[in-house]
Amino acid sequence: MRPLTLGRLLGHCAILAAVLFVVVVIALKLGAVPVSLYGLGRDLLRVLFRQTSQLSSEYQLIIFDIRLPRILLGIFVGASLSVAGASFQALLRNPLADPYVLGVSSGAAVGAIIALIVEPHLALAPAVAALLTPVGAFLGAAITVTAVYFLGLREGRIDSSTLLLAGIISASFLQAIIMFFMSTLTGGNYRGIAFWMMGELQTPPPQIVSLILRFGFFLAAGVIYTTAPDLNLLLAGEKEAMHLGVDVRRVRLVVYIAASLLTGLAVSVSGAIGYVGLLVPHVMRLIFGSDHRVLLPTTALGGAIAVVIADTLARTVVSPAELPVGAMTAIAGAPLFLYLMRRRLA
Amino acid sequence: MPTPNDARKNTAAGSAIAALLLYAILACPAVRVQAQTLIQTQTPPSGTAVATPLYKEFVDEVGRTVRVPQPVQRIVSLAPSLTETVYALGLQDRLVGDTDYCDYPPDAQKKTKVGGAINPSLEEIASLRPDLVLVTKSLNRIETVHSLDSLGIPSYATDPHTVNEIISSTERLAEVLGVPEAGATLGVDLEHHLADLHQRLNGVPPLRVLFIVWSDPLVSVGKGTFIADALKLAGAISIVDAAQDWPQMSLEEVVRLQPDFLVFAETHSDNGRTQFDVLAERPGWRGLDAVRNRRFAVISDAVNRPAPRIVSAIEDLARQLHPEAFSAHPEDEKEKKAPPPAPQHGQLLSLRMVDSPVSGNFFTEDCPCAL
Repeated sequence: MRPLTLGRLLGHCAILAAVLFVVVVIALKLGAVPVSLYGLGRDLLRVLFRQTSQLSSEYQLIIFDIRLPRILLGIFVGASLSVAGASFQALLRNPLADPYVLGVSSGAAVGAIIALIVEPHLALAPAVAALLTPVGAFLGAAITVTAVYFLGLREGRIDSSTLLLAGIISASFLQAIIMFFMSTLTGGNYRGIAFWMMGELQTPPPQIVSLILRFGFFLAAGVIYTTAPDLNLLLAGEKEAMHLGVDVRRVRLVVYIAASLLTGLAVSVSGAIGYVGLLVPHVMRLIFGSDHRVLLPTTALGGAIAVVIADTLARTVVSPAELPVGAMTAIAGAPLFLYLMRRRLA
Repeated sequence: MPTPNDARKNTAAGSAIAALLLYAILACPAVRVQAQTLIQTQTPPSGTAVATPLYKEFVDEVGRTVRVPQPVQRIVSLAPSLTETVYALGLQDRLVGDTDYCDYPPDAQKKTKVGGAINPSLEEIASLRPDLVLVTKSLNRIETVHSLDSLGIPSYATDPHTVNEIISSTERLAEVLGVPEAGATLGVDLEHHLADLHQRLNGVPPLRVLFIVWSDPLVSVGKGTFIADALKLAGAISIVDAAQDWPQMSLEEVVRLQPDFLVFAETHSDNGRTQFDVLAERPGWRGLDAVRNRRFAVISDAVNRPAPRIVSAIEDLARQLHPEAFSAHPEDEKEKKAPPPAPQHGQLLSLRMVDSPVSGNFFTEDCPCAL
């Protein structure tokens, strides 16, 4: 492993940040209402200099109230999912590990459905009612993660293959429960669930939820980043890491909780966007190597780029209708994953 | 291998990135808040609203209080049934946008499309600058309504569950849209047709029917749907007694219940006769008396939409199920054929779509028919 310098790390991140910037500008430009780059630049400068009253008002609603919040949501969801994926892969030393395989997103979907079922029975203020679905999704994800964690223990230690199996089986069990709810319930607003399970970014979460998502991301990603050197040692093997002075059990618990938090937050606002957490870390590892001190920040930026691109396609290819963003990531992600897998075998 | 020195650099790099991105977290809510105040300054202060009523408040059918700008000049409809209702009220010129599935009347296909009912583009809706967006609880998603709320775009929701509620819902919508007379005239006309039908079917024993929403898998209608109510008004009873709105039926259950008639709605890809033939060729279906005796009715897909046109579909079904009730009094028949007093609405009722596109949406898995 080459020694890491601050310059190299910042260089890599700067390249990706530049790519992200270009992607965001293109995403802001594309959509139902065309916007000129000049007008966009002028409006952005006005926002920066706090002169919002001079914004061209017809675009202001669409660009700053619809498109920009959606892109920002995509950035944080993509970054959260891919950092969680990279962490799970390192932790379980398994290239297949990602939030979806571990059943987290199915758990979130069940939580969201239960929230939708109970919502009409609780006389809640509209502001509180809007929070119920994300909270339900988060609790569902948290409960599933905890259950899968304990199911994956073998003689008091996490066993990678047991944990992955526990996750896969829990996911299919939870999906059966979702199908049961969907075919027996009546009268409620459940048709959104199919769309929601594929993941979507169209519905802006309440302000407080987006703030929690952003702070939660930096908190959890920061905690994971402090364990980056330990994760590097874990790559060599659990016993080796232990001999080199890594408290394996503590690292595993901390990273597992932080990565689950990231997934729960992301899923609670966007539904289940697959393949980002699985694929982005693999691509970043190919480009930047497997040193987690570089991999984690580049993966975060890469995930943001991937989700913003996927969501821009999701809202433009069948315009004016929209595709679930999860359908876009799966269409692009599944073949790419198979290609990477075959290349590794060759 | 990492050294303590690396770790320190690491932390420095981490905090630099964190600081940069922290700006992103904190700056963006500020942008949003400012944008929202801008919208608020565009709306006139409440003081002037007293002098000239620029807004009126209505309670919609899901109990939300909606502030509707007066008069409503720009309407976006997010359901085929609401688009039909807007046309039936004569307000087609104020309809500035509708969904991909709004196909009736044919002119509605030319309106600006905002996407499907389940997955419309918020941007497209916002760009049409609507005074009011019309939604219906049984088809649109609550998330769409929340998003419109957060953008300050008023939306009015309907939620009819019976044919009478479709009529009263139409009248209420007419009031919201500022044309109460058109709504009242249309309502009276529709009720007149239903009353006439009721009189004709008086004493005629109802037939037990299976309404087929979808044949593969077999999906029928539950007892709480407006379609079940429409069947009743046409002198039929759905054999399906399910609480779910769109119950999936087993063939065994259908054979046990032995319907007198099968009822199909016309679809785009094939007309109902071939739907019947397809079913009749399947093993097991031949065991049904209704299939052996080819007792089936095909009616306009207007029956699938909670809009005024459903009354013409009900009349059509009644004629097919109970022809005797319509031929018993030839003098009456002649009298009834005189054009109704309101030609605009009479025309609406006599229009029958021969070839209507399938209005299903592949995301509406629990609701195969478009409302």
